[in-house]
Amino acid sequence: MQPDTSAIPIDPCKHCGTDAPVDVHFCPRCDRILTLGRHGDYFTFFGLRRRLRVDLKDLEPRFRALSRLFHPDFFHNSSTTERLASLERSSYLNDAFRTLRDPLARLEYLLKLEGFTPKESRDASTMVPQGLLEEVFELNEELEAIQDMRAEGAPDEAIAERLDAARGPIEANLAGHERELDSLMAAHDERLEAGDAEGRHATLAELRTLLLERTYLTNLLATVRREMNGGEAARL
Amino acid sequence: MSKVVGIDLGTTNSLVAFVSAGKPEVIADESGGTLLPSIVSIDELDTVHVGREAQRRLLTDSARTVYSVKRFMGRGIEDVKDEERWFPFKVSGEAGGVVHIHLGDRELTPPELSGFILRELKRRAEAFFMKEGDFDPEVAAAVITVPAYFNDAQRTATRDAGRLAGLEVLRIINEPTAACLAYGLDKRREGIIAVYDLGGGTFDISILKVEEGVFQVLSTNGDTHLGGDDLDRILVEMVAGDLGLDPATQADAVQAVRKAVIQAKWDLSEFDEAHIDVADVPGRVEPYRRHITRSEFESLIAPVVARTLEPCRRALEDAGLDPGQVAEVVLVGGSTRIPMVRREVERLFGRKPHTDLNPDEVVAIGAAVQADILVSGRREMLLLDVTPLSLGIETMGGIVSKIILRNSTIPASGSEMFTTFVDSQTAVDIHILQGEREMAADNRSLGRFKLRGIPPMPAGLPRIQVRFQIDANGILSVSAHELRTGIEQAIEVKPSYGLTDEEVERMLIASFEHAEEDINARMLIELRNDAETIVAATEKTLRRPDFAEIAAALLTADEVAAIHAALADLKQAVSTDDRDAIQVKTTALNHATHHLAEVMMNWTVQAALAGRTADDVAAKGR
Repeated sequence: MQPDTSAIPIDPCKHCGTDAPVDVHFCPRCDRILTLGRHGDYFTFFGLRRRLRVDLKDLEPRFRALSRLFHPDFFHNSSTTERLASLERSSYLNDAFRTLRDPLARLEYLLKLEGFTPKESRDASTMVPQGLLEEVFELNEELEAIQDMRAEGAPDEAIAERLDAARGPIEANLAGHERELDSLMAAHDERLEAGDAEGRHATLAELRTLLLERTYLTNLLATVRREMNGGEAARL
Repeated sequence: MSKVVGIDLGTTNSLVAFVSAGKPEVIADESGGTLLPSIVSIDELDTVHVGREAQRRLLTDSARTVYSVKRFMGRGIEDVKDEERWFPFKVSGEAGGVVHIHLGDRELTPPELSGFILRELKRRAEAFFMKEGDFDPEVAAAVITVPAYFNDAQRTATRDAGRLAGLEVLRIINEPTAACLAYGLDKRREGIIAVYDLGGGTFDISILKVEEGVFQVLSTNGDTHLGGDDLDRILVEMVAGDLGLDPATQADAVQAVRKAVIQAKWDLSEFDEAHIDVADVPGRVEPYRRHITRSEFESLIAPVVARTLEPCRRALEDAGLDPGQVAEVVLVGGSTRIPMVRREVERLFGRKPHTDLNPDEVVAIGAAVQADILVSGRREMLLLDVTPLSLGIETMGGIVSKIILRNSTIPASGSEMFTTFVDSQTAVDIHILQGEREMAADNRSLGRFKLRGIPPMPAGLPRIQVRFQIDANGILSVSAHELRTGIEQAIEVKPSYGLTDEEVERMLIASFEHAEEDINARMLIELRNDAETIVAATEKTLRRPDFAEIAAALLTADEVAAIHAALADLKQAVSTDDRDAIQVKTTALNHATHHLAEVMMNWTVQAALAGRTADDVAAKGR
C-alpha cells in the first residue's frame, strides 16, 4: 500500500517557489535551505526507517553531516529567511538526535507517532499497571512496616537491611523488563522488515505496556532509595 | 571588508585575537603586552581609563576604579551582597534588578563598564590593523566568549556590552569550548576531551567529543562565582586581619594588600615559600611582611579547589562517561597554574592534564577561530555547544515545568501549551526560569511576559502554544500563537536582571555623548600640557640673569614686548577650559618666541665654542 501523501502540506520554497518533496532539506531547484514545516518525523528527517534498534555508529555520522549542512554558522551571510530556516532546521535536528540516540526516548517517540500515547498521560504515571498490582501492594506494606520500625527507633543497620531486601524483587523485575523490552524491540524491527503490519502493531502494544510498567518500577525504586536516604538524613 | 575579531572578555584580563592567513594570533598593544587588565577607572574630569592605567589608579583612587566587573554581569544586588564589602567601589540597585556601580558621581551598569573594556580592545585591534597598513582597519564585529555556565541574563548582558562598545556581536561562545577549538586545531586530536577552566572569577568544566572536525559538547557544569578572586580574598582577609584594616574606610590600603597577596600567590606557583610584602600601610611605620609556605597556602585554598571537583563529576555523569574514558584534559585560566589545582585535576581524571598551551591566551585564540569560521563560511570545523541550564516556566503552585533540558545541543527549541482560566480572558502572564531546582523561587528568574490579544473564548478553550528558541549563542527568544485562530500573540519580555532594548539605546546615546566628553577631556589635557611646557621654557629664558644683555644686543624692543604680551595671553587662556583659545595662544607664543629661540641657541653655541658653558657666560655677565 502506498502511503497517502496528499494530506501532507507542501510549502513552496520561499525563494523560488518550487514545491519540494517532504524531508528534502534543500530546494531541488535553487539549492537554498528550506524552511521547516515540510518534514515528516525524526526518523524520516534522518533518512531512517522506523526501527527501534538504531546503531549509534550509523546515527552519529548522520547527525554530524546534517549539522554541517544546517548550522547557523554557515548561514551567517545569508538572507533572513535562510537564517531562520537554518535555525529551525538545526534545532529540529538537535531535538531529533537527542530523542533517537536514547533507546527509551526513541521507543516513547515511536509509540506516540504510531498513536499509542495514553489519553491522559498523568493517569498513566500514577495508576498502578495491572501486572504490578500485587507487587506494589506488598512493597507498600513493607515500606509502612519499615517506617514504623524507624519511628520505634530500630537500629539503622536493621532498617537498611530490610530496605535492601525490599528492593531486591523490584530490581529483579526491572531487569526482566529491560530484557523483554530489548527482545520485543528486536521483534518489532523484524516485523517492520518483513512488512508484517499487524504483527508490528501488536508488538508496539506490548511494548507500551512494558514501558509503562518499567516507568512505574523505576519510580518505585526511587521511592525506596528516598526512604534509605531519609534514614541517612535522620542519622545526621 | 571590516574585520571580525575574537575577544576573551575575562574577569581579570581581556584579550583580542584575529586569524590572519589561516593563523590565529593574539593582538598586542603598543608596548607588546597581550593582556588588558579588565579594570576601568573614571577620574574627576570624567575621563575613562581602561587597563594598566586603571590598574595603577586602583592604588590611588580605588573608589573610582572597578575590577572584576564580570562578576556583576546579569546579576542582582542580592547576589553580590556577601562580597560587596571587599570591593572599593559602591554598588546599589533594587532587589530583583540590575546592579549599579558608583564611580565618583557616575553610576554605571556592568554592561556599560564591560563596554569600556571592549571598546579599548576594539581600539587596540584597529591600531594594529592600521599599523599593518590594512586599508580597512575598522573592527565592526566580534565573537565574544563567556563562561559556559553563564545563564541567559549573563549572556544577554555580554551582548549588550558589545553593542555599547559599537561592536556587532556575531556570536557568543563558551570559553572552554573556545579553548578546545584552539587546542584541537593545534593538536589535531580526536576523542573525548575535558576542559577544566578556572579563571579569575568563574569556573567551568566541559566534556567534548571531537570527531571529523566537529567539536560536540556532551555536557557542561560550573560555577559563575568561583575563581582566582576567591583565593585572593582568603589571603586579603588574612592580612587585613593582621593589620586591622577596615575595608569600608581603608579601601586604598586593601587594594595595596590585594596587589601584594596576588604577587605572593603567583610566587607560590613557582616556589615553596613566598613573602607577602606591603610597603606602605597607613598608620604603620614599618612595612608589613608575612612569610607563607606553599603548604600553608594550600590548606587555605583547599575548600575553594574542592568546590571545582563536584561539577566535574556531575559533568561526567551527564555525559554518561567514566573519568577513564576521557582521552585528554586541557587546562584553561590563570588559576590552573596553581600546582594544587593541577594535582587535584590529575587525581580526578587519572591522567596528567595538558599545560603546553598558554592558559591566558587559548580562549581568545578559539574565539578568533570561530570568528574566522563565521566570516569565511568554511565548514571543516564546527562547534556544537549545549545550554548549561534547563529552561522552564512557572506553573501552578510555584513549580517549574521544564521545557528545554540542560546539556541540550543548541540551537534547541521547545514548546508548551497554555490556556485561560476565566471566560473571555485575553491575557496570560508567564514567568520564565532557568535552573535545575523544582521550585520556581529557587531558580534564576529570566523574565516575565504577558501574552496579550487572546481572542475572547470560554475558559480553557484557547490553545496558546508558547515556543522557546535557544539560538547558537545560548540566548533565549520566545514566541507564541493561539492555535485555534492562528493569531500570533504579542509578547513583551521584561528581563529580570537585564537591560531592556530601550535602556541599551539610551546608554548608547549617552555613551556617544560621553565619548565626545572623554575625547574633549583628553584633548584639553594634552593642549594644556603643551601650553605649560612652552610657558615654562619662555619664563625660564626671561628669568636668565643675562637676558637683558642678550635682548639689548640681539632683539628689538617690539620683539621683547610681543613675547611678554603673548606669554600673558597664553597664561590667561590656560586657566580656562577653552581648547581653541589655548591652541591659538600657544601658536602665538611659539611664533613670538621663534626668533628668541634662535638667538638663545646661537648664544649657547658661541659660549660653548669659547670653552665656557652658558652658565659661565651668565655668571660673567653679572
